[in-house]
Amino acid sequence: MEIKSMRFKANASGALVNTVLQGNLKTSKGKFVTRRAETIKELDDFEGTRDAATAIRNRVIDNLDLWLERFEQKALDTGAQVLWARDGAEVCRLVTEIALQHGVTKVAKSKSMLSEEAGLNQALEAAGIQPVETDLGEYILQIDNNEPPSHIIAPAVHKSLDQVADLFHKVHGTPRKTEIPALTREAREVLRSHFLSADMGLSGGNFLIAETGSVALVTNEGNGRMVTTLPKVHVVITGIEKVIPTLEDLSTLMRLLPRSATGQPISNYVSVLTGVKKPAEHDGPEHLYFILVDNGRADAVGSDFHAMLRCIRCGACMNHCPVYQTIGGHAYGWVYPGPMGSILTPLYAGLEKSIDLPHAATLCNQCGVVCPVKIPLPDLLRKLREKQTERGLRPLTERIGLRLWAWAALRPKIYALGAGFGARYLKWLAGGTDRIRLLPAAPEWTLGRDFPAPQGKTFRELYAARQKPAKETT
Amino acid sequence: MSSREDILGRVRANLHRGATNAAAAREDILAALSNRSHGPKPAIDGSPQALLERFRLKSEQQSTTADIVAGESDVPAAIARYLTTMSLPKSAVAWPSLAALDWAAAGLKVDGRGARDADPVGITGCFCAIAETGTLMLCSSADTPATVSLLPETHIAIVNASRILPCMEDAWALARKELGVLPRAVNFISGPSRTGDIEQTVVLGAHGPYRVHLVIVAD
Amino acid sequence: MAKLRIGFFVTCLVDLMRPRIGFAALKLLETAGCEVIVPETQTCCGQPAWNSGDVPGAVALAKKTIAEFEGFDYVVAPSGSCAEHIRIEYPRLFAAEPDWRDRATALAGRTHELTDFLVTVLKVDSVPGDYQGTVTYHDSCSGLRGLGIKQQPRVLLAKLKGLSLKEMDGCEECCGFGGTFSIKFGEVSAAIAGRKCDNVLASGAQAVVGGDLGCLLNIEGKLRRMGDENTKVLHVAEVLAGGA
Repeated sequence: MEIKSMRFKANASGALVNTVLQGNLKTSKGKFVTRRAETIKELDDFEGTRDAATAIRNRVIDNLDLWLERFEQKALDTGAQVLWARDGAEVCRLVTEIALQHGVTKVAKSKSMLSEEAGLNQALEAAGIQPVETDLGEYILQIDNNEPPSHIIAPAVHKSLDQVADLFHKVHGTPRKTEIPALTREAREVLRSHFLSADMGLSGGNFLIAETGSVALVTNEGNGRMVTTLPKVHVVITGIEKVIPTLEDLSTLMRLLPRSATGQPISNYVSVLTGVKKPAEHDGPEHLYFILVDNGRADAVGSDFHAMLRCIRCGACMNHCPVYQTIGGHAYGWVYPGPMGSILTPLYAGLEKSIDLPHAATLCNQCGVVCPVKIPLPDLLRKLREKQTERGLRPLTERIGLRLWAWAALRPKIYALGAGFGARYLKWLAGGTDRIRLLPAAPEWTLGRDFPAPQGKTFRELYAARQKPAKETT
Repeated sequence: MSSREDILGRVRANLHRGATNAAAAREDILAALSNRSHGPKPAIDGSPQALLERFRLKSEQQSTTADIVAGESDVPAAIARYLTTMSLPKSAVAWPSLAALDWAAAGLKVDGRGARDADPVGITGCFCAIAETGTLMLCSSADTPATVSLLPETHIAIVNASRILPCMEDAWALARKELGVLPRAVNFISGPSRTGDIEQTVVLGAHGPYRVHLVIVAD
Repeated sequence: MAKLRIGFFVTCLVDLMRPRIGFAALKLLETAGCEVIVPETQTCCGQPAWNSGDVPGAVALAKKTIAEFEGFDYVVAPSGSCAEHIRIEYPRLFAAEPDWRDRATALAGRTHELTDFLVTVLKVDSVPGDYQGTVTYHDSCSGLRGLGIKQQPRVLLAKLKGLSLKEMDGCEECCGFGGTFSIKFGEVSAAIAGRKCDNVLASGAQAVVGGDLGCLLNIEGKLRRMGDENTKVLHVAEVLAGGA
């Protein structure tokens, strides 16, 4: 997917004045948050489960090479094929080759964020193969001119019912429907024919299970089951970090993933798929391929960002992020929005291509406290800021300003003079009122709010005066 | 260099892989795979009555409906009653493993095979059920095709009460004991298919069944 | 028992913008029987440098602060944000300097946010304030999620007979300040503040109270720009000490 993260600030400003988007964000805000809060209460030991999940993910990523080899061997034993891709381009090439080899003309896809990373749909279309997104949210986006998703769990969360109604009316040529169940049925009927006629099913993978060589798929709609049951070829594309050891570990993670994502105690369908169709079976793919994708992950192993590889893609961090809630997901400019995106985009798509993202957070740690695998997201954002500073990737004025401030803060006398001047200058700017309407030194502050006036003298001045009344200055 | 070697090579280098830490890591892998330790599980009363009650309650919270019958021979009539109440067709596709039940006596036309697009009702059994979340565990095979619980708009599942287990971990233990290796598809089903993709409003019946009905055999 | 010697960390925002908060905090500590010393060379704890990715700057300021404050029984700051930086981040700054790490860890263990200190260390029975009216409380992020400060200010506010607390929706949600975030992404920051202010106004309280001046400046600035002239915006120290 083309990266537009350099336009974060402009994108964010646009999002703030987009009244339709703001309305949609308001409609959706809090739904996932409230449901999550309710369903985690059902667990007697939620924190213990988070710790266990963290340990499971650490266990694998700390020895990722050997776990990958183990998974690969078990998958091969089940009759699957295992392929490896360095980057998105290689994903596209491998999927296209598999499709051509099996004479595939249509691919039914269940949701895969890696497919978005790779820009797979465009590559398939270029090869004359029709990709059909079958997750309702992804489908809505695909028929709306391939709009990118704005959320990893609810890709079309930025769209309103009205917008979907207009879209279906226009694209399907059907009478305009205004009820969500009717629209859902319309999509079901359109997509059912695609499920039945697709030659290849393509899915992501929530987890790869080393014990059995299986892929675990978690869906609510049932499209994940369709694309892995009906077509004769099934291709799984996942990041190399998705391995977990055992089926017991899957059980632990399944207590957290749906609760953290949508606030469900369990998703409707959890499918554990192992190998290909047996000779007497009625259904299931005859060919199963795993494409294990790097695209930046291998380089994160053992780095300052190693903990990020624990991520199980629940989306809780963005659901709880004040910035995400305010501007939506598109402003982030790549596949993954919100706090996790502000870390993954610099890691996978390039720090120099996403200058603003590590700073697009208040470091409020709402993300960190809800992360089911305890990724210290604010620490990682801060670490990225360090890397930017080291590489000189921040604007010169900002760097000089910070240096100057730190230089002064190390020199108490100079600092005291500066603070005294600042207090008086700001008071003067307020012109006898209790507020400053335009702050020349930081005009961004006063774009959307006032800056309260200071008292006019610093604490240190007033305190010194109190301690030594005789030396009081005017 | 192949992509595989390139990727694994970089992972190895980043983990400072050497003979010593490889041996320790292999030991940890073997331990993980043989111990199969589990995380915290909710405290669930394991008595048959409590498991049944919790399973029913959790199923109903997932919008599944349920009926209880005394024995397997009562199942066809119970299903016929349900279909009548719901004004649904009396013809169904069922797992071949269920073909021996006397469907005709209950006035039902039941084909034992994999499901097709137009089949209105699919009847399955289940490998076991999970009380923690009100979940069915279905294992695919020639006699238990996965499509029957997926393509029809109505899915009816027969559950033996004695096979309601507390947690998913217990289901895996039973699968290892009874099946040895995993079947091609293990599907955990918790209620009708659903989506919240339009305005995060949950709607039942996305791509799979609109309704799931359980006939629990008390045995 | 000898008086506890407290090193008072004023914080750069209180120094520059609201000295009265500092004096209110002094009054609270002195009323509670502490000897309070304000080291005059103090400037900033270094959090802005740390959060901006300037590690050398953050380390230098941390060393300066440690040297200034390590001689006291306790260090108290009228800010969850600064206290969190000293308590949680300081020891992490010195992974490669064991001597400094030990000094940082020792200081961290004796550093408290004001309300936390009054409640958990001093266990005060009463506070000098006499506030009359309804307030709602904004939980600042660093204090709440970094230091677990939630009940402490409420316990203290409950000691004021004339004060009634009306909790707002989303009191634990970020106000959008975020330090330099508020000037780097001013529009987004102000929009987040707008949601906070909507909740403040919906609570119907006469004042919004908090423990971090950064958040309070943000909330006050947004309330005024929204046209609200009535809701007072107060630091918890001002309310507890009286005269607010």
